[in-house]
Amino acid sequence: MTDKTHELSRRTFLRGTGIALALPWLETFAIGAAPKDQTPRRFLSVYHPDGVGLPLKSDPAWSDWSWFPRGGERDFVLTKVLDVLEPLRSDITIYSGLSHPHARNVHGHSNADQYLTGAPIGGHGPYRNTISLDQAYAEHAGEFTRHSSLVMSTNGGVGGPRGAQTQSFNREGRPIPAMNKPRDIFNLLFVTTGKDAATRLARSKSALDLLIENTRSLGRQLSTRDQATLAQYLDAVRDTEQKLAKAQRWIDTPIPQVDATNLHLDAEPKEARLYFQTMYELIYLAFLSDSTRVATFQLGRENGEGPHDLLSLAVGLGAAHGLTHEVKKPGGWQNLGTYNRYQAEEFGRFAQRLKDTPEPTGHGNMLDNTLAMHGSASSSFHLSRNYPIISAGGKNLGFTNGRYLKFGTGNEDNQAGAGIDTDAGWQSKAEVEELPLSKLFVTILQRLGVETDTFGGATGSLSRV
Amino acid sequence: MTTRFVALLLGLGLGAAGLLIAADGPDAPLTLAAAKDQGRAKSRFLKGAKEVAAAPDGAPQANVAHFRESIQPILQKSCLACHGPDRTEGRLRIDQLNPDLLTGPDVERWREVYGVLSKSEMPPADEPDYALADQARGQIVDWLSGELDTASRIRRQSQQHTSFRRLTNYEYNHALQDLLGLSYPLANKLPPETASEDGFKNSAELLQMSVMQFETYREIALKSLKRATVTGDRPPAVTYIISMQEELQRASAGDNEAKVFRTNEERYRQHKHQHHLLNRETGTGIPYGGGKVMPRPEAVVGQPTPVSPVVLVLPASTELKLDLDRFLPDEGIMRVRIRAGRSSMNPHEYASLRLVFSAHTSNDANFSEVISERDIPVTASIDDPQLIHFDIPLGDITRNPFRHLATTFPRRDEYLHIRNISNASRGDDRLQVQIDSIEISAPFYEQWPPKSHTNIFFESAQRQDEQAYGREVLNRFLKRVWRRPVSPAEVDQFMTLFDDYRPQFATFEEAMVEVLATALSSAEFLYLTQRATTGESPTAGKISDFELASRLAVFLWSSIPDAKLVELAEQGRLREPDILQAQVQRLLSDPRASRFSRNFVEQWLGLERINSVSHLAADDPLRAAMLEEPVAYFDEVLRQNLSVMDFLHSDYAMVNERLAAHYRIPEVYGPQFRRVAITPETNRGGLLTSAAIMTINSDGTDSHPLKRGVWMLKRILDDPPPPPPPSVPQVDLTDPEILKMTLKERIINHRNQPACYSCHSRIDPWGIAFENYDALGAYRTHVKDQPVDATSELFNKQTLSGIDGLKRYLLLDRQDQFARAMVHKLMAYALGRPLSFGDSAEIDKLTAEFRQRNDGLRDLIFLIITSDLFQSQ
Repeated sequence: MTDKTHELSRRTFLRGTGIALALPWLETFAIGAAPKDQTPRRFLSVYHPDGVGLPLKSDPAWSDWSWFPRGGERDFVLTKVLDVLEPLRSDITIYSGLSHPHARNVHGHSNADQYLTGAPIGGHGPYRNTISLDQAYAEHAGEFTRHSSLVMSTNGGVGGPRGAQTQSFNREGRPIPAMNKPRDIFNLLFVTTGKDAATRLARSKSALDLLIENTRSLGRQLSTRDQATLAQYLDAVRDTEQKLAKAQRWIDTPIPQVDATNLHLDAEPKEARLYFQTMYELIYLAFLSDSTRVATFQLGRENGEGPHDLLSLAVGLGAAHGLTHEVKKPGGWQNLGTYNRYQAEEFGRFAQRLKDTPEPTGHGNMLDNTLAMHGSASSSFHLSRNYPIISAGGKNLGFTNGRYLKFGTGNEDNQAGAGIDTDAGWQSKAEVEELPLSKLFVTILQRLGVETDTFGGATGSLSRV
Repeated sequence: MTTRFVALLLGLGLGAAGLLIAADGPDAPLTLAAAKDQGRAKSRFLKGAKEVAAAPDGAPQANVAHFRESIQPILQKSCLACHGPDRTEGRLRIDQLNPDLLTGPDVERWREVYGVLSKSEMPPADEPDYALADQARGQIVDWLSGELDTASRIRRQSQQHTSFRRLTNYEYNHALQDLLGLSYPLANKLPPETASEDGFKNSAELLQMSVMQFETYREIALKSLKRATVTGDRPPAVTYIISMQEELQRASAGDNEAKVFRTNEERYRQHKHQHHLLNRETGTGIPYGGGKVMPRPEAVVGQPTPVSPVVLVLPASTELKLDLDRFLPDEGIMRVRIRAGRSSMNPHEYASLRLVFSAHTSNDANFSEVISERDIPVTASIDDPQLIHFDIPLGDITRNPFRHLATTFPRRDEYLHIRNISNASRGDDRLQVQIDSIEISAPFYEQWPPKSHTNIFFESAQRQDEQAYGREVLNRFLKRVWRRPVSPAEVDQFMTLFDDYRPQFATFEEAMVEVLATALSSAEFLYLTQRATTGESPTAGKISDFELASRLAVFLWSSIPDAKLVELAEQGRLREPDILQAQVQRLLSDPRASRFSRNFVEQWLGLERINSVSHLAADDPLRAAMLEEPVAYFDEVLRQNLSVMDFLHSDYAMVNERLAAHYRIPEVYGPQFRRVAITPETNRGGLLTSAAIMTINSDGTDSHPLKRGVWMLKRILDDPPPPPPPSVPQVDLTDPEILKMTLKERIINHRNQPACYSCHSRIDPWGIAFENYDALGAYRTHVKDQPVDATSELFNKQTLSGIDGLKRYLLLDRQDQFARAMVHKLMAYALGRPLSFGDSAEIDKLTAEFRQRNDGLRDLIFLIITSDLFQSQ
């Protein structure tokens, strides 16, 4: 980032737009290298465990409580599960026929870990994961913001192997701990002073100075040819210094001031509505202040007691996981559908909030520059196929919304695996053809500006998206 | 280069059937031993210096004579009309191109000519008068491909290469381990490295530095130093003691009494080969596979206890699964000490112990992994049991992330499995492991403070004076890190940093650790330096004694030199012939020398490719055995100073039980590798037919003659074939005519195209000779009910009949080439750089000396180390 032309063009830009320097996104911008386009591109992935309701056509509940829409790409009809998204119809896309190939015969309980990675983590034995979609983007966009990403979940931490409580995994496939307390998240974003970070930085700075001096004196004793090799080391040290300088500037940059009076920072998952809305509001504020451009939010963990099971209290239902087991009981499909409907409602509320907020750069509204995903690694009971996925926004990134996109063949009416409530489902042979979800991830990365053609073992993007 | 070949090969779908190429069998085959002797007698390296001068690798000359004689007339006949003085299509005057591709200016034009001819784009199809017969086209393409390849080799080898390089990841890891006295892997986080054209990972130009690499070094340095050093008092250890005597009492208490059995009862039969507790004196027992155990706060670690008659009986492939609950600390070494013995001493049966760690946090959220680095054999009788111990770094293994929860769900427990890996699966008296007590303790320290700590923070009279002691600590540490004496000014630099840091930390040690971590990120630790010398001095161009010490240690230990080597360098005595000789002996006799065998062999033979084969599971014991064989073999040849010609063929093999079964060598028991004599009927001997090599050169279902041929040329004969030309036609599997063909026909069809013929005819025959070995290297006489035909004809019309024929030919006619290849490969590895034309005279000289000394591998190591090349920059 020592490129002089970059420096120059950035200054030129600042003069040219005449936008007040107080805007947080501009502070960001002044610190990172000049991004290709000045409007931030954002990514959010929300994960919910336990899949969705998928009754058989012959079931009376089918017409109202089957998650997937009916009809074609444009003229699709939402069932009661997703009808709360009707007002956002032109801003959303619903997908079917996508899943990660390695997980199709692994128990749904084990699969939250691989939803954003596509890694072949299997069902038992040694465990290795790979980088998640959000982190692949954060590697690209992270330097423009104070926080490279915001990782949240209701349960917090990393969870266990095959029992993740975070959606985010770093380049080495190691889980990134998720935050679950609204107050901690707020403090991280808008309060923390980072004194400790400052001393650590200062320490690194003097260490690097010493190494540079030391290397120079070694360089003087080498042949010209070997000096060239040593120059590579020196460059690495200097570039590390540059990175530190950037981090230093973040420490020096004032934290955005946000009024917390109306935020319920002590909300807990058992106060489901309040908790949901506070968490979404924090993502909104993080995006608005350009504190980060990347966020993940996992609503609980696959199969397990814990805070997330209380989230269904929001609609007066107990034990969210239990809902999936009880679909065959009277009102079972409706109960599960009602909870899924509530999840969609909160996601929709968040999307609407972004839509109602003009982009600070004047480039459309915030939703147009954000791709927000909502989904799960299972559809029907413990079945890791045909992931139920919704995306919202991203118009300015190249996403054409208002569509129901069916992929794969043989399952146009989403009946494969429908109506099951036993483990025979996930153990069965997949009879229909689905496409790798990672192809959608490639498309997303490309639209976010990451030059890549592969992700999670898939090559090439997804057509029609 | 390899990857492009592979792409081509995949297109061919090669490998399902043996290639049938008619040939006459040799009349009275010479034994291989006789071939070895006869071949040696032919060596030109043994016939004096004059002939040696005509080295095969000397700077090549352009083949202009051949051009004038055979190529030019064809060009004149078919090309000149349009590309000559009368018409000059495409601004090409074929008559004016300089036929010297090695030094002439027209290489790029010739490359175009090569392209259009090999693709049959020229002469144009609508000019029948100038049509080019396949044979004539082949001649031109042949000549051009040869010359173009030579030209590119010249370019590559004319470059000057330097040995100034950073340490490879594995060298860095060993350097850190040796320096800090930590035995477990420390450098896993470094970005992966790639191998050079000749397979070596230590090639200077490939060892790049990046911000990420550098930041990772800094991170690893600090983390490792924090692990090597300690602060404060010895932390209390969590200790579990499992006495089988107590377990038996507990298990038989109360209602469980009914489960107790006696060895003289009929029902014992159903328990005998399951895990159970047994009182060897009274003959009473009870089924038992482990369970919950709790730490004992009062326990003293390592306390000797009397041997108990009550043992856990662990038959082959069973395990004891201990639930340790949630009490193991996050960091530190867990020592697992097991007192065990064998139930019988039958030499054909072996048993060893392996540790597995697991957790099951909720439904379907679980993991388990092997945590012991290697299985430890149980060799003692249960009448006089042995102590087996494992040291496991708890911070490096996968742990149960919920262990600190205040609530009980998700489950917090962590499990330790002790597994018996054994071949004893038959017979009523089959071998079982018997264990009478187990002790698990963490964090475990042999002593306090640990040795790794006192190595850095040693006792000193000046200990109370932070400035004086700090200088002392730095002086000693920097000297080890930089492998040379340190000047006071250099120590000053680091003391300034220390003064800067000191107020930020509670203790001297904590601040100093941060400073030392900086030294571990310095160029002089991470790089193998060579300081410039002045032109006039007698040592001009030579590396210094300190640099020699480093080069020796990196070559033979994959690490930095120890104090002894640095001391000799400091005294200026390391180059004294006797001392150098003794030091090389010392280095080779040290256990660290096994790193040399492993790293060199893996890179030389390209064994890493086993990671990308699809037909052998990563945890298959055969895979582990396969990978070990060539290393064990090399080690044997090195230790015994045997002839490197043994790599081509030997009357012994290095095998363990698993591999011996694969090779159908009888009577080999146990997991350890050992030398066994073999007969010709085993169809083994030497490295060429090792299962690993056959496996990496197969296509996932069957042998792959082309890959095997390329491997032979590259790795054994040091005569790599050129990469396929960019215009090479792919095998068109959408063509219905081609689809109808058998694989063999496809190969021949492909090979007969002029663009392909010249290379394939040089490669394929080498690989076809291996057809008796399947995709996993098992010997076979039939493929799909058809007898294998492994007979082929080399480009020089030499017939190779199967592996015997191939070996015979190599031993009779190619010993010099192979000997030189060995010298070349070892020297490139030792120097950490590709060799160039400038090195070739020295390599010839060394090869001659090497051959005169009877081709001994250990001798070769000495020759290399005492050579001018090794001691020069």
